[in-house]
Amino acid sequence: MTALLQIDALSVSYGRISALRDVSLHVNTGEIVAIVGPNGAGKSTLLATIAGLVRPSTGTIQFRGQSVTGQPLERTVRRGIALVPEGRHVFGGLTVFENLKLGATIRRDRVAVAAEIAQYMALFPILSERRNEPAGQLSGGEQQMLVIARGMLSNPALLMLDEPSLGLAPRITDQVYDLIESVRQRGVTVLAVEQNADRALRSADRTYVLNSGSVRLSGPSADLRGKPEFEAAYFGLGQAGADK
Amino acid sequence: MNALVQIVVDALSLGGLYALTALGIGLIFSVMRLANFAHAELVTCAAYALFALSAHPLVMAVAGSVLVAVALAVVTERLAFRTLRSADPTTMMIASFTVSMLIQKILVFSIGSRPKSLDPVPVLSQAVWIGGAQVSLLKLVTIAVCAVLLLALTIFLRRTSFGLQMRAAAENFTMARLTGVRANAVIVAAFALSGVLAAVVALLFTAQSGFVQPRLGVPLMITAFVATVIGGMGSLTGAAIGGLLVGVVTTLLQAFLPPDLRPFREAFLFALVILALLVKPNGLFPARGLKERI
Repeated sequence: MTALLQIDALSVSYGRISALRDVSLHVNTGEIVAIVGPNGAGKSTLLATIAGLVRPSTGTIQFRGQSVTGQPLERTVRRGIALVPEGRHVFGGLTVFENLKLGATIRRDRVAVAAEIAQYMALFPILSERRNEPAGQLSGGEQQMLVIARGMLSNPALLMLDEPSLGLAPRITDQVYDLIESVRQRGVTVLAVEQNADRALRSADRTYVLNSGSVRLSGPSADLRGKPEFEAAYFGLGQAGADK
Repeated sequence: MNALVQIVVDALSLGGLYALTALGIGLIFSVMRLANFAHAELVTCAAYALFALSAHPLVMAVAGSVLVAVALAVVTERLAFRTLRSADPTTMMIASFTVSMLIQKILVFSIGSRPKSLDPVPVLSQAVWIGGAQVSLLKLVTIAVCAVLLLALTIFLRRTSFGLQMRAAAENFTMARLTGVRANAVIVAAFALSGVLAAVVALLFTAQSGFVQPRLGVPLMITAFVATVIGGMGSLTGAAIGGLLVGVVTTLLQAFLPPDLRPFREAFLFALVILALLVKPNGLFPARGLKERI
């Protein structure tokens, strides 16, 4: 079976600074895959490159067997890839309801969209209470729920989340990951970037450790948990990190 | 009392024109951070179209001038601004200066710099009485047209799904594209709308001034640009209110400055602008998402 997302030998640089070096990874349909690593490891760059925000210098990204590099940004979501970027990025001046409606920009089945919006509002009553208020007034956790719901409303095959737990209280983080698990149960594949390695290892089926732009370690999360190599790779101490 | 009615009508009609011009500039700034100085030439060319079609019925002349302004707006976007979309705002602003100058010079070469007189809607050049006050019908119509257009634009932006996409793009262009909003469609629509607004301004303005020349739109555009800065760059509400405010203040200065100082009313206006910006550097209604980051 071919993977839903297949990345081979991907390198990205910003001018002379190399952000990703020879990264290969894959995500199978129905999986939750986490990419963990410290600040500046290249995690966000990786998602940005898959979404088409950044052009790779070499390497290929295939989604459902087709190359996705070098396409206009608005095509990403039409292919079935939704990105929930770091920092949440609600449209703060638009209402909660308008934010959700924008999630379904590419869809024409209005009845189904309205029903799905109603579902999310039932799931998160705060979104319903504040439906006509500017989304910027929601708390961080509420905004995170809103952007995940917004991403889901495009009916994606792959939902990519950049630091979904950043700046959230542990209890809220649990809620976010509950939501991510329910996303998977709807048949959507999830690729999440996390600095919170514990949290990621607990929820993801497989985990990649990224450090200084390279994949240092990868495997089923259950195998990585508690392994000394995991911490070494995360902090860039292992043999793989000895290349400088 | 009568003087008051006249001042209110003057203020609102001038403010309305500035508001429409400011909105034309603001629409484009909000979606692509371009301060489009060539907006002046949209007004000018629309006015020349009215002049060229002055022998035809008003409806045809107006339709023709709207068409010219929209076409010009869309063509300048395609030829000059599209390739610069990811360039920094300064580069785009200089490009818009270039486009503005180019069109002005083409007009001077092809038509000449001497003013052409026109009176697109002669029926409006009569006076009507409100209570005991004599006011110009044209100014009342100007106020009504501006109000209707502002309302229509508000409904478009608030109630239609394309309007929603435009507002999302104005707030965070990259994120909007990631939700599937088509960048080209939104930007072309913004240019087309600014062309429509420019054509309406051209009609109302030449009906008052009675002539057209190659720099017709420039002072309007500069004042309207100041209005968008006052209102808060990137905020459409801000642009409309800023335009209205500048018109009102100009009229008040004209009415209440000692006669010797009236020729310098712009100096007073811009002094007030500077004061306003010292107090509120981002304008009265600062736009969200001026910095873009993902």
